[in-house]
Amino acid sequence: MANFKVIGRPIRRFDALSKAVGATIYADDYKMPGMLHGKVLRSPYPSARIVRIDPRRARALPGVVCVLTAADIGYAKMVADIPGQTGQRERPQSETPVLAWDRVRYKGEAVALVAAETEEIAERALELIDVEYEPLPGVFDPLEAMKPGAPIVFEPDNIVARWRIRKGDIEAGFAAADLIIENTYRVPFVEHAYLEPEAGVAWVDERGVINIRVSTQVMEHFRTVARTLGIPQNRVRIQGAFAGGGFGGKEDITVEVFLALLALHTRRPVRLAYTREESILAHSKRHPFIMRYRIGVKRNGRITALQADLIADSGAYPYLSPYVSLYATVMATGPYRIDNVWVDTVAVATNNPFTSAFRGFGGPQPCFAYERQMDDIARALGMDPLEVRQINYLRTGDTTATGQVIQSAVLLEESARRALEALGERTPDHGPIQVGRGFASYFQSYGRLMWLHDTSQAWVGLELDGTVVIRCGAPDPGGGQLSSLCQIASEVLGVPLENVVAYTPDTALTPLAGTTTATRQLYMSGNAVLQAATSIRKTLLERASKYFEEDPDDLDLADGRVFIKRDPDRSMPLPDLVRICAAEGLPLAHLALFKAPFRDPIDPETGQGDVFPDFTFGAFAVEVAVDTETGQIEVLKSAACHDVGRAINPAAVIGQIQGGSHQGLGYALMENLIVENGEIRTPSLSEYLIPTSVDYPTTQVILLESGTGVGPFGAKGIGEPALTPVAPAVANAVVDAIGKPIRELPITPELVLRALGKR
Amino acid sequence: MLPEFELLMPRTLPEALEMLAQRAPDVMPIAGGTNVIPDLRGGRYRPACLVNVASLPELRGIRQEDGFLVIGGSVTMAEVLEDPIVAQFAPVLQEAAKMLASPLVRNRATVAGNLANASPAADMAPPLLALDAEVELASRESIRRVPLKDFFVHVRQTVRQPQELVTAIRFPLPPPGSRARFFKVALRKADAIAVVNGTVRVDLTENGRCQAARIALGAVAPTPLRAYEAEHVLESQPLTPKDIAEAARLAGEATRTIDDIRGSAAYRRMVTEVMVRRTLGEIAYGEGEN
Ligand SMILES: Cc1cc2nc3c(=O)[nH]c(=O)nc-3n(C[C@H](O)[C@H](O)[C@H](O)COP(=O)(O)OP(=O)(O)OC[C@H]3O[C@@H](n4cnc5c(N)ncnc54)[C@H](O)[C@@H]3O)c2cc1C
Repeated sequence: MANFKVIGRPIRRFDALSKAVGATIYADDYKMPGMLHGKVLRSPYPSARIVRIDPRRARALPGVVCVLTAADIGYAKMVADIPGQTGQRERPQSETPVLAWDRVRYKGEAVALVAAETEEIAERALELIDVEYEPLPGVFDPLEAMKPGAPIVFEPDNIVARWRIRKGDIEAGFAAADLIIENTYRVPFVEHAYLEPEAGVAWVDERGVINIRVSTQVMEHFRTVARTLGIPQNRVRIQGAFAGGGFGGKEDITVEVFLALLALHTRRPVRLAYTREESILAHSKRHPFIMRYRIGVKRNGRITALQADLIADSGAYPYLSPYVSLYATVMATGPYRIDNVWVDTVAVATNNPFTSAFRGFGGPQPCFAYERQMDDIARALGMDPLEVRQINYLRTGDTTATGQVIQSAVLLEESARRALEALGERTPDHGPIQVGRGFASYFQSYGRLMWLHDTSQAWVGLELDGTVVIRCGAPDPGGGQLSSLCQIASEVLGVPLENVVAYTPDTALTPLAGTTTATRQLYMSGNAVLQAATSIRKTLLERASKYFEEDPDDLDLADGRVFIKRDPDRSMPLPDLVRICAAEGLPLAHLALFKAPFRDPIDPETGQGDVFPDFTFGAFAVEVAVDTETGQIEVLKSAACHDVGRAINPAAVIGQIQGGSHQGLGYALMENLIVENGEIRTPSLSEYLIPTSVDYPTTQVILLESGTGVGPFGAKGIGEPALTPVAPAVANAVVDAIGKPIRELPITPELVLRALGKR
Repeated sequence: MLPEFELLMPRTLPEALEMLAQRAPDVMPIAGGTNVIPDLRGGRYRPACLVNVASLPELRGIRQEDGFLVIGGSVTMAEVLEDPIVAQFAPVLQEAAKMLASPLVRNRATVAGNLANASPAADMAPPLLALDAEVELASRESIRRVPLKDFFVHVRQTVRQPQELVTAIRFPLPPPGSRARFFKVALRKADAIAVVNGTVRVDLTENGRCQAARIALGAVAPTPLRAYEAEHVLESQPLTPKDIAEAARLAGEATRTIDDIRGSAAYRRMVTEVMVRRTLGEIAYGEGEN
């Protein structure tokens, strides 16, 4: 299949037009007869004892159908381990109360639920629930939280997770160094700020099954809902919808359990949709990290040792912090060949908003630190930043810090060079405006941890008229996941793309395909669709080979026909072949199960072992102009170059990269969820600023296609990687412009002036 | 969530003024609603009654009248941006309107609403202060004109009485040698409240002397303000770099800034000085000279 017909073509996604004209039905657009409206009462304190909850006044309000407190739901807890269909482990200390009863641990924690005839009544009912709190001392800084005597967020201590890498001989590595560069870096809380706040509708159907139509990245949360409610797993159905963005914020459970409880208790359909402000209060954030890096290097630029201490603020409940901190640990060295590595990571509980998955999942934070370090090393040695990196870049066949051998192509040098070249001529300085350039390289995993035994299933079927249906439980939060699956089936079955339909996921109708997280969906479900379609293709060609009296290998499928390769005029329309197969009872549909490679967990003492199926490599380069009097930074040009393995739909890939670039530029320069004493001081999009379309120029995208990824047709993953190198590249450019170090994000005007010693 | 309120839809100005007189004080005019609606949702206030003034015919349009430029009480930012009279006599208003919010908001947001809302950071306040604008306030009983510099009392507080409407904003047409520039420092290029904004206006004689100077600043005090001492330094002088620097320094000193999430007091003061110096430099020596 060397000459692709559909793969690699920049097609318009089937979901594009309806989204552009506002015709797409999102979870929040769903209305049911007799539908009630849900609301959540949330804690006004970051740390408090609940003395008393009295819902009687709320229950007495006309129009209120149901008020639930922890006492009404059996003090239920959610097990917030890695969500998904496989490898789920119990971790009792991470259980999060569905509704708090004795303590609240962060501001915004859910305390009670209301369902009422109208949203207004539900809102008023919240005000009538009497909750008496006794404020308790809280802990709001992970460094404080680790000290003896600090308030304990939950027993036995504030340590949520620890990870280690011990590779080589760290002391010998530093002893061999001519120079040691040591610095501490800090990155802030970040809000996902997806277009669509969390929303859903739930009802109990005639079978007694709880249906939840919801905006989510994880269909498999039906399991968590069932376990939380103490009902069988086959009694909960999740219906997906196109999600208006997720970025990891819809990887954890959001409204699902609340909806299920209200629907079950009222026996009526219930809608629950967060406002923007509630969304910011209620869902996870990107982890702030404090990162101390020590890198030893020879005068010739060769790194001899890397030591990193990473401290992540996990907030009030663990959610995915243990795994995010693991990712950060594994990616802490950057894409460099280093023989002596020592990494200590700790995720620490505080009474801050809880942190969890966010595009990059622990990859972008250390990338900021190690790529700033690389530029500092270059400066200290008087070398070119690219040259220092070239000396140390990983190559295919090298091992990572955990001892995993890199199997795929590693186009680090080419991507950095191409991204830098794309910036073109350097813009000159002008008065107080100083221009600088920087770039960053990175590696980022795609696919889940190999000991989670990740699988995806896809069902592909041919209809009698030669059209194709794909049933695959892959949520599409906007990346074009479903559209790419259509392209794969279209290519393999030789069916025009417009003749392929992929349904949105529904646990009752589409086989489980796992989470749309970890940049895994094209890799996993793409391979599942490829397998299923290939199986049908085999059936078709074998039957056609009898008809044409030709070897199946000499036949091909394209443009809705089967034909003889060396004599394409001898052909048959696909519907005719399908009818022949159907008449003989041959299988025209196939359910495929794709399995990622499975491994045992890494050694907890040394961190050694295989962790991920593969990695994506690339670079981001940027030119900035810094106003040294006001501290304002203007992005002049930027370019991203990534080896995506194979671009199934280049238009979608470029979109992912440009989106990731802008999200990364926001991370670098603008986005800052300010949390003081557990309180979010940027509670709405008026205070929490994300980039608009006029803030930064469009990023130039250069696609490399090594064809060596583990995804379909050699694809790698690009969803998360697109963001990872952006912030450090910007920081390096600012440092280049002002000649002073930057070790913090976001690089606000005031931070720039501080760095310049002007404040 | 939006609280309940009564919405009155008068068709004429007298009708509107009558409604306000009867319902005051528990009544609020609403024009574009781009401040009112978010504030209602956020619980900042809960008036029993809103009176829609966006479609009153008497409040429409921009016109030239007796040496004044008159902006009607329901004129939107989008209208200001398209208006040829404004382009000719007060392009600084367009500079400010262009940097206010985003196209969507500008289609609804009114100049009168921007002033009546009395945010210290209101983008139209500095240019209108620099243009010596006055606010026309009408009630059922009377009409009065208040100089804009006396209009603001405190954060979100003006001299307007609850039964009064802003029916127009007017200012004398600037003389031919008048030049004014708006500046805004914000954390984002669109849809962002100013960290500091301001307008510098200099009326030059034919021989390049400064006849009159206005320096108006926003987001640096509880109300938009004029930096009078800085203005004095420039008046009846040619614009020398030394005077410009001194005026800028005094403008910085005129600020009464506070720390908030958008910027520290010290930063605001510092940037005020930089921006006033640069803007004066641009007026004196042309674009891009610092
Ligand atoms: C997303 C967004 C971005 C924004 N960005 C900016 C910005 O960059 N810069 C900026 O300065 N502002 C900004 N704003 C605020 C707002 O858009 C402006 O202040 C706008 O000019 C208000 O005008 P309006 O017609 O919408 O006023 P409304 O919201 O209708 O009213 C505002 C106030 O004025 C009163 N009022 C309105 N009309 C009259 C009248 N004729 N007589 C008496 N009182 C009246 C109302 O009672 C109310 O107190 C933004 C708002 C939003 C939602």
